[in-house]
Amino acid sequence: MMSFLLKRFLTGVVLAALVWGAPAWAHKVNIFAYVEGGKIYTESFFPDGQAVEGGAVEILDGQGRKVAEGITDKEGKCALPIPVKDDLTVVINASMGHRNTYKLKKSELGD
Amino acid sequence: MPRLLIGLLFILSTVTAFMPQAKAHFGVIVPSDDIVTQQDSKELTVEVKFIHPFEMHYMEMEKPRRFGVLHKGKAQDLLKSLEKAQGKGGDQQESFTFWKAQYSIKRPGDYLFFVEPAPYWEPAEDKFIVHLTKVCVNALGLEEGWDEPVGFELEIIPMTRPYGLWTGNVFTGQVLQKGKPVPNAEIEVEYLNESPGNPSVVKAPSDPYVTQVVKADRNGVFSYVMPRAGWWGFAALKDAAWKLKKDGKQKDVEIGAVFWVHTVDMK
Repeated sequence: MMSFLLKRFLTGVVLAALVWGAPAWAHKVNIFAYVEGGKIYTESFFPDGQAVEGGAVEILDGQGRKVAEGITDKEGKCALPIPVKDDLTVVINASMGHRNTYKLKKSELGD
Repeated sequence: MPRLLIGLLFILSTVTAFMPQAKAHFGVIVPSDDIVTQQDSKELTVEVKFIHPFEMHYMEMEKPRRFGVLHKGKAQDLLKSLEKAQGKGGDQQESFTFWKAQYSIKRPGDYLFFVEPAPYWEPAEDKFIVHLTKVCVNALGLEEGWDEPVGFELEIIPMTRPYGLWTGNVFTGQVLQKGKPVPNAEIEVEYLNESPGNPSVVKAPSDPYVTQVVKADRNGVFSYVMPRAGWWGFAALKDAAWKLKKDGKQKDVEIGAVFWVHTVDMK
C-alpha cells in the first residue's frame, strides 16, 4: 500500500516536472540584426520577449566561415563591428541547444 | 381601422428593427501579411475600409481621423501615409473610396494597427457609426504587444493571441469601455468573403448566417470558433453616451470596437 502511494506520488512529481518544464522547451530562441553607423547590432530573445542572456553570437561570411563572435548582455544585445562586406549570417547559440540565425545581405551593410 | 393601422405600424417597425442585422457594417484593417518572418517582405500594404465583409459591399469612406500603429508601447501616426483607393463588390455598380498605406517593418515584435474613422452617417438607422478598428501584425519572432490597449473609448482586448490561428480555433476577447469590462456586450462576427486565398465566395442560406452574433459574459468576455480560413472581424457594438449633430438635430452614435484576425487551414 505504501509503495503504491509512493509510486503515485513519484509519478505526480515526474508529471509536474514535465508540465512545468514544457514552456521552456516550447520556447524558440530568436535573433534579429540590423546595421547602424558601421556596426552590427543584434538582439536575441524568446518569443515572449525574455532576453537571451549570455548567449553566444557568431557571424558567418558567405562561405559559412566564422568572422566574428560575441556574447549577449542582460538585454540580449550584442554589437559587433562589421567584420567583412559579404552576405552574412548572424547566429545565436543559447543554452540547451537553442539556436537560430538571421541573414544580413551585403547590400544592408552600408558603405 | 385604427387597429389595422397600429398592426401595420407594428409590422413595419419590427421589420426595420431587424434590417440592420442583415447588413452589418464593419470597419476593416487588413494587412498584406499578418506574420512577417525573416524570409517575408518587410513591406506591408495595409487596407482600411468600411464594408459589409460577408456580402462584399463597399461603403464610401471619408479620410479617417486617426490611423497609426502601436509598437513596443509607442504609437506612431501614419495618417499622412494613407492614399485613396477605389473598390467595389461583385454586384455593386459603382466604386467606393477606401484607403491604403505602405508600412515598412523594421524591428521584431507586434504591430497593432488602428484606425479611427470619420463618423459615418447611416440614414437607414438614423444614427452615426464610428468603428474603432484594430489588427495585429507579428514580426520576426517576438510575440509581444498584441494584448495592449491602444486607448480607444471602446476596444476589444484579445485573450487569444490574435495571429497564428488555425481554422476552427476559438477567438476570445474582452470588451472594454474606457478601460472597464462591458457586461453582456453584443458582438457581431463576419467572415471577409474577399479574403485572399478564399477558394470560393461563401453564400449564406439565409440572413442570420451573414452576421454571427455572440454576447459577452458579465466580464465582457466573448468567444467564437472560426470555421473557415481567411479574415474574421469581431465588432463589439455600443451606443455612445455622446451625440452628433445632423442637419441641426442631435443624433445617436453607434461605437464599434472591431478586431480582425486571420485563420489558416491545417494541412
